[in-house]
Amino acid sequence: MLPKVCILRTDGTNCDAETFYAFNKAGGKSELVHINQLRQGKVKLAAYHILVIPGGFSYGDDISAGKILAAEMTSFLKEQLAEFWRAKKPILGICNGFQVLVRTGLLPTGKLGSISAALTANKSGRFECRWIKLKIEKNNCIFTQGLDNKVIYLPVAHGEGNFYTDSATLNNIEANGQVTFRYVDKNDQPTKTYPDNPNGSLNAIAGLSDPSGYILGLMPHPERFTEIFHEPNWRRNNLLFCQPGRLTYNSMEPQGLAIFRNAIQYVKNS
Amino acid sequence: MALYEVRVINHPWMPDPKGQDVLYEIQRALGLKNITRVTTTKVYRLEGISEEEAHLLAQNLLAEDIYQSYRLNEPVITKATAVVEVAYKPGVMNPETSSLMKAARDLGINNLSACDSSWEYGFFGPGVTTANINLILKRLLVNETVEQVVTSRPPAAGRQTSGEKQTTSRSTGGKPVLSEACPTSNRLETSPAKPLTLVIHGLVQETKIIPIRVMNDRELMALSQDKLFLDREEMQRIKNYFTSLGRDPTDCEVETIAQTWSEHCVHKTFKAKLLVNGREKTPLLKRLQQATQNINHPLVRSAFVDNSGVFEFYQGWAICGKVETHNAPSAIEPYGGAMTGSGGVFRDIMGTGQGAKVIASTDIFCFAPPNYPVEKIPDGCLHPHYLLRRVVAGVRDYGNRMGIPTNNGSVHFHPDFRAKPTVIVGAYGILPLERCLKGRPRPGDLAMVIGGRTGRDGIHGATFSSGEMTARTIEVNASAVQIGHPIEEKRVADAILAASEQGLIRALTDCGAGGFSSALGEMGTETGVKVYLDRAPLKYPGLAPWEIWVSESQERMVLAVDPAKAGRVLAICQALNVEATIMGEFTGDSRLLVSYQGEVVCSLDMDFLHHGWPQRAKQVAWQAPVFAEPDLPSSANWEEIYRQVMAHGNVCSKEPIVRMYDHGVQGTCALPPFGGVNGDAPNDAVILTPFLDQPYAVIISHGLNPVLNKINPYYGSLWAIAEAAANAIAVGANPRELMLIDNFIWPVPEENFLGAIDLAVDACVDFARATGMPFISGKDSLSSTYRGKDNLVIHIPPVLCVSAFGRLPDVTKTVSADFKKEHSQVVLVGCRNPMEMAGSVYYDLIGYIGNNLPKIDLAVLPKVYQAVYQAIAEGKVLACHDISEGGLAAALAEMCFGGNLGAVINIPAEEKAENFLFNETAGCFLIELDPKINPANLFAGVPHKVIGHTVSQREITAYRQKKLLFALPLAPLKEAWQRPMKEVFGGSITA
Repeated sequence: MLPKVCILRTDGTNCDAETFYAFNKAGGKSELVHINQLRQGKVKLAAYHILVIPGGFSYGDDISAGKILAAEMTSFLKEQLAEFWRAKKPILGICNGFQVLVRTGLLPTGKLGSISAALTANKSGRFECRWIKLKIEKNNCIFTQGLDNKVIYLPVAHGEGNFYTDSATLNNIEANGQVTFRYVDKNDQPTKTYPDNPNGSLNAIAGLSDPSGYILGLMPHPERFTEIFHEPNWRRNNLLFCQPGRLTYNSMEPQGLAIFRNAIQYVKNS
Repeated sequence: MALYEVRVINHPWMPDPKGQDVLYEIQRALGLKNITRVTTTKVYRLEGISEEEAHLLAQNLLAEDIYQSYRLNEPVITKATAVVEVAYKPGVMNPETSSLMKAARDLGINNLSACDSSWEYGFFGPGVTTANINLILKRLLVNETVEQVVTSRPPAAGRQTSGEKQTTSRSTGGKPVLSEACPTSNRLETSPAKPLTLVIHGLVQETKIIPIRVMNDRELMALSQDKLFLDREEMQRIKNYFTSLGRDPTDCEVETIAQTWSEHCVHKTFKAKLLVNGREKTPLLKRLQQATQNINHPLVRSAFVDNSGVFEFYQGWAICGKVETHNAPSAIEPYGGAMTGSGGVFRDIMGTGQGAKVIASTDIFCFAPPNYPVEKIPDGCLHPHYLLRRVVAGVRDYGNRMGIPTNNGSVHFHPDFRAKPTVIVGAYGILPLERCLKGRPRPGDLAMVIGGRTGRDGIHGATFSSGEMTARTIEVNASAVQIGHPIEEKRVADAILAASEQGLIRALTDCGAGGFSSALGEMGTETGVKVYLDRAPLKYPGLAPWEIWVSESQERMVLAVDPAKAGRVLAICQALNVEATIMGEFTGDSRLLVSYQGEVVCSLDMDFLHHGWPQRAKQVAWQAPVFAEPDLPSSANWEEIYRQVMAHGNVCSKEPIVRMYDHGVQGTCALPPFGGVNGDAPNDAVILTPFLDQPYAVIISHGLNPVLNKINPYYGSLWAIAEAAANAIAVGANPRELMLIDNFIWPVPEENFLGAIDLAVDACVDFARATGMPFISGKDSLSSTYRGKDNLVIHIPPVLCVSAFGRLPDVTKTVSADFKKEHSQVVLVGCRNPMEMAGSVYYDLIGYIGNNLPKIDLAVLPKVYQAVYQAIAEGKVLACHDISEGGLAAALAEMCFGGNLGAVINIPAEEKAENFLFNETAGCFLIELDPKINPANLFAGVPHKVIGHTVSQREITAYRQKKLLFALPLAPLKEAWQRPMKEVFGGSITA
């Protein structure tokens, strides 16, 4: 049986289709689930192996990005989420999903309802859509196993991705090795400099996991790099062989895919 | 009822990007360097709850103490020299309020009866004077059509707080609140006192009878002016109709007719009889339609009949495209205008066939230069710097939030857009072939409205956009603008797709210009329709029936649904938080019958409504103007002129705009707007792969060149069309599978300008015939003339914007514009006469327009297109870029920027170097070829020439007759090319 992936939707979710595709391509069985279905009890989170909160502008990002959905989840899905987490099932938040996870408290501490960090407005004051380089850190995050120290290329597209927390929490995050992705410069070094770091995040944090490693949130969009021709310069980087009738990749897998495949593999192994 | 104010502010050590952005504009756009800091606070007003609940909401929803703090009923910006709050006017729907209400309920607070949010600004520095604050408010922060300065605080509950002291001083009537430190105490112009409640009350106005039968011509025209925008003959038709019925019309009936007959909805000019030198010529629209019929393109599924044009894609699917203008609303409220423009064109796609998914958005703007002198901006008009930034923000916020990638567009600058800018928004969609045509409503089908509620906003949009803009426009027609709500539209889009997939929709259309009147009136043309207006969900009470009927409130769609399926549609809507209401039913009596609480407010014969307007007959003449010709100096300073060309508004990089648009959402982008080594070199078109697992591609591009139409509208228009197609072909599009969309944005078509349209349409027809590319959708907006005080008249340079879109079976057979490697050949392909320099950027820089404009040869062009397509399809082209504004020189530089490579070129001895470099003939391409490929074989039979080769050294070097003309490093060229838009959009783009 294929691992079942719950792609959570609500008003303003807009990266659901490509996230759906990414998990299917990685070997899962994606389903789109509207939060109304969960609230009304028509669908139970327990029926799924992986929960994903995809990108978008949930409820218009009114008040602050992801805030309204976070409040809704904290109010109505508290037990289901706790049960999901106790069952060691992976939870992934991409972009707006990351913002939601931070605003529920699930990241960085894993404690629902206790907010200890924020994704605030980009330092540039603007929405930023561009491809950036990320370094994957070695830690216990189940989404990135085997990818330690790899540098990958993914797009960001957000206006509120500037990770901020107090120094105690930051020290904890670093000491626990919870940082999973950092923005890096052309020498693959973590950077605070725009545009390599597109939002001014503390410690160049682009994505992090909770202490257990089952919950991951990141601002960049791995679901937007699941085919080679998504890469903006695939034509010059010689990433693709053209063969009549089919596409053949030149030894490189689209760099967003591994994150989804790791989650699927984890479910299969557990 | 108690009204609480919660103010939320970032901790002092946190950055305040919004404040920094405002400060940047104050210092840069207004030149007020003595204002040194701006801080911002979000203000929430909450009504109906207890103080305890207000705290609860503040703590759990409005503020996060990790980086913010809040105060209840107290100011938080206390040290600023001046503090000003800017809020939406009552009745302008703040999209945030519905989220606030929802979240409060989710948190268990059920008695929040109303709420609002706004921003407060604190200003610091010696430059904070009343005069300067007034300037900032007027020019940057407050758009008086939708916003106001809030000063006197509403009597809030819990006044006995420590904020009391400030509260008192704040409520003494000052407009911006200037503290004692402020040197002057002059007040801002009047702004309304804050109401005691946020709940909008209103009594329903009664339906009025208009005594049209007794009106003389003068009275008829007085009725028309500023409201109906109909001409004398049309007003007389209406009078005669009601005279024959023996009764006077209701206000609702008159409004219905005015909306239906508006230029915006019925395109009277494009349907008019044209008399050219006494000879009758086929109406413009008919000529375009006939050209498309004559081509009889096998892929076309619908042209000019549906909300967008539809052609066959692959695997049983179709692609549709629509391009719209939203000039008039954007001119008076650019943010809201651009938003509702985007929202409207997306709904056109959503309402195509039996429902389509929007997959792309495009944006094309024409403004006066952003540094245009403030004092030369006519009365009643906004400065282009503000317009550009706000229009971009509107397009950004609507597209990004709906999750529609905005990935093709351009900005053109010309001083004559200073009164009436041109704002063009396009959208493209995908839908199954089997549902790509609309069904016809049948008698008994239900008329359902889904989505947003109806308010007073947008009333008279259709008639307004058909009228000329005057200095009075902003005052009179403020109600024509509103703020869009993209999340509402996203919900509606999701609901339509779900209902469409299950085959539940017979027909649908968007509630655009003219609102219900247009949507239901049009859908019921053949059957007739009965509408119960009192069923319409309203944003607030107090609307007269006619207002409900013609309101253009956004985010609404009208569906015709078989009654047996209505329950399922309602269930889908409910599951997705979309409000759905059955407004009436389609009948069989060919009448438009509208009632309100049992009273008939409109009863019109469909035939009169849709066919009763008088066809116009118009005299057409076009007089060729004569412009001064320059004595061409031989350029001494090549570096200077090259940099000036690159920095020209119509050439310079628009990357800062593109970066604010999410062009990758939906995961379909296979050629981004900017690419190359550093991601900062432009591509000619966007390529999308709408099926995520398959290589089938959609290509979208466009072209326009307004200034050429001033010289000669035939060749100017030909240029625009050739450019649109060339942009698509440059990335690999197949010219045999390209579709076109026309948008005419013109000054009011008096004789000469109508003559210009006539020639432009001829160009469209000739191009279609020569290339086999059909026009399948189009729109005209013929009101871009400004009339101000002292007989000031400003006509925009006529705009024909042509969009091209097509399909390709294999995305891997496409190319980008960046040079790929050194030692490649650089080949110029295409037919041009370098002497034809009129209208070029080069001429503009030396202060001329000229007369000898590029005259594209339609005998050669199709062969060039085919040869370029073939070469790319065979995988022989490394890079390709089409030549447009800035000429070969600009195209070459952009290819170098993309590859981080240089080039060495040889200018032929027989050509003048300036012409060779800066001629702008469209339909010509620069192509990078591997040295092993022989261009003579690849481009046999079409004009081509190897002009040079790529080199690793980052310089552009030109020789003429073996003599070095110049060797220019790339860096300063690039700096010049990037600087203008960086300056407009903020300094930190490269920081």
